[in-house]
Amino acid sequence: MSLVINYIANSLLILCLVTSLIQSRFLFKIQNYNLLSISQISAIQFLSILISFFILIFLFITSDFNFDLVYFHSHSEKPLIYKLSGVWGNHEGSMLLWILILVLFNFLFSLSKSSSQKFKEITVAVQSLMIFGFVLFLLILSNPFNINNENFNDGLGLNPILQDPLLAIHPPILYIGYVGFSLIFSLSITGLLTSEVDKKWATMAKPWVFAAWSFLTAGIALGSYWAYYELGWGGYWFWDPVENASLMPWLSATALIHCVVVLQRRNTMQSWTMVLAILTFSLSLAGTFLVRSGVLNSVHTFASDPGRGLFILIFLFIILSSSFLLFALKSEKINKPSLHNISSRNTGIMVNNWLLISILIVVFLGTMYPLATDLLYNQSLTVGPQYYAISITPIIILFLFFMILSPQLNWGESKLLKILNEMRYILISCLTITFLTTLYYDLFNVSEVLIIFLSLILIMSSLSSGLNFKSTKVTVKSNFGQSMAHAGFGIFILAVVSNAVYSQEKIYDAKVGSKLQLDEYIFDFKNIVQEEKVNFNSIKAHLSLSKNGKDLGDFTPEIRFYSDPPTITSETSIIHQFFSDVYVVMNVPQNQESISLRLHVKPFMNILWLGVVMIILGGIITAILNRKNYIENEIN
Amino acid sequence: MTNTVKKRLIKFLVSLIIFGIAILIIVYNLRDNIVYFYSPSEIIKNNQTGSQIVRLGGLVESESVVSDGDSIFHFRITDGQEQISVKYQGILPNLFAEEKGVVVEGIYMNDGRFIANKVLAKHDENYMPPEVIKSLKETGKWQE
Repeated sequence: MSLVINYIANSLLILCLVTSLIQSRFLFKIQNYNLLSISQISAIQFLSILISFFILIFLFITSDFNFDLVYFHSHSEKPLIYKLSGVWGNHEGSMLLWILILVLFNFLFSLSKSSSQKFKEITVAVQSLMIFGFVLFLLILSNPFNINNENFNDGLGLNPILQDPLLAIHPPILYIGYVGFSLIFSLSITGLLTSEVDKKWATMAKPWVFAAWSFLTAGIALGSYWAYYELGWGGYWFWDPVENASLMPWLSATALIHCVVVLQRRNTMQSWTMVLAILTFSLSLAGTFLVRSGVLNSVHTFASDPGRGLFILIFLFIILSSSFLLFALKSEKINKPSLHNISSRNTGIMVNNWLLISILIVVFLGTMYPLATDLLYNQSLTVGPQYYAISITPIIILFLFFMILSPQLNWGESKLLKILNEMRYILISCLTITFLTTLYYDLFNVSEVLIIFLSLILIMSSLSSGLNFKSTKVTVKSNFGQSMAHAGFGIFILAVVSNAVYSQEKIYDAKVGSKLQLDEYIFDFKNIVQEEKVNFNSIKAHLSLSKNGKDLGDFTPEIRFYSDPPTITSETSIIHQFFSDVYVVMNVPQNQESISLRLHVKPFMNILWLGVVMIILGGIITAILNRKNYIENEIN
Repeated sequence: MTNTVKKRLIKFLVSLIIFGIAILIIVYNLRDNIVYFYSPSEIIKNNQTGSQIVRLGGLVESESVVSDGDSIFHFRITDGQEQISVKYQGILPNLFAEEKGVVVEGIYMNDGRFIANKVLAKHDENYMPPEVIKSLKETGKWQE
């Protein structure tokens, strides 16, 4: 039985390999094959991978331990949802998921009607060439369907820290983001090959870019939220190499979405858009695979195999060198001379592009420096979070300034004084709010005050530019997505700064019955319960929280002892209030009498996530609205 | 040299200079904020005492962990050759155990003690920090 399944799955992968090769024929100008249309062949590519993915899911659900992957990463007693997430909680399975999304995007694009036949043929060909490379890698170096001849009774389980509903959906969402940029990359290569990088190209690429960017943002946010409540360190971002690896493509993608808008409106910045498209996809590739290769030393590294890292490095090298060579040959042809005034929106977007790239360089150096010193001087070191805070703060201040200014500017020419006049109410009210907050909270750090002031203006000006206020009715303008995302960014930055300033933390060695205090909160430590669950034993503490005599709810922090593999985890317990989260973590008792409890007050966490959600929604709205407009233009 | 080429060259040079200065500032900032990692032998050899925060990693020596209440812990970190006494106030991570790998962050004092303000946690109990593996290999104490 297992042999048959193995045979079928491998045949499907080979089928995808062959069809991808057929699809890439347009790159080599072979046209004499017309049995099936592009979208039909794309459907075969997609279905072959989809079916093999379902086969893998089936193997995990039925716990077929004759397959190595199931044996190493699953366990018969595991809850169903984690058997499912176990499919992509490992290297081979996540590779298959990656390829599934790759063929899905290819299939969706082959169905779309937004480009000429020739353009579509070449784009699908480039995309299929990549699919070919990855499927080959899967078949040879990391085949998920390898079978063993032992008769194992049960599997080796999965790291219990990965048994989490959020972590089950985090990789697929993040991958949709990463892989989405593969299509943008293919579109750019086609644009360069056909020298057609213009308004039409931008209009076609825009919904894909915004969709991919929204998914990438959501994927990073989910990972960050997971780290916030699961790791129990009280933070949501640690400047860990793996987090940085996802932040870098996000930064260049953020620059890219703005360039695509400029290209669509003004037909300029062609070369820069191409550079960013290639850079974003390369960083996405590096991001996914360096994480899995074990090159980066990180808390998030679960699976590692340096041998596979080599393939990715070679693949990355081929993609980077060939695409930049193509770019060097073609950049003259695609560039149109652009005449624009210095005080126009283009300038503002250009400046912020450079600022985003500066942050990217800061993150890149911080991530790579430890690797370099380890290789060159055999000296291990880490870069402290202070480095990022000090380097990025001044850049963010400038960034906020231009983020406020640019949307106020016209695409052509603008008068700065006129803008200042239009914004006078917002400026005055923000100045007053900032001044009062500064007095009330005794803030004296100049950059903090400046960031609070600027993000307040950003929130107000963005919201007012996206909404139409007509006497009693409020309506939405066409730039609603943009204004929502920008306001969300302002809210996010405001929350980040306030959270950093006002977070509190205290550690107690507590006995049952004692009352603990942090800030104005009283924690009443009631009891400890031991429980036996399906796949773990737990110690649970009960505490109740009150403030000024008012009851706010109960905490149940927990320590779990898993048997397969033997692991201990702490489950944090969080009470969400509108303005702050209160957070309790319990640790394994080091002596009999008392238990270590760590209490956190994290202000503005809800506001922070609200900002992130607004950013993501803004991206999605822009992707959908653009699509509609485009189709309407087509018809007219 | 045509006019456009000249213009481009100037543009290129100016951006190169700005770019260079930016990188210099970043790297300068970077050097101020790095935390070095040492094994017990290295920290004694380098004599890295004083105010600089460093990381120290190795195995927690068996029967060396003592607690004197109020979340204050004393233990020794060894790489098989040298031992360093560590004092730490706070919560020890769940996976902290004798004869297991550990990385602490703090200050190495003149009297040879290490005052830690962080004990770094890792995910699963078989995980060994790569730095610790490296230093154990150097002293020949590493067993696969």
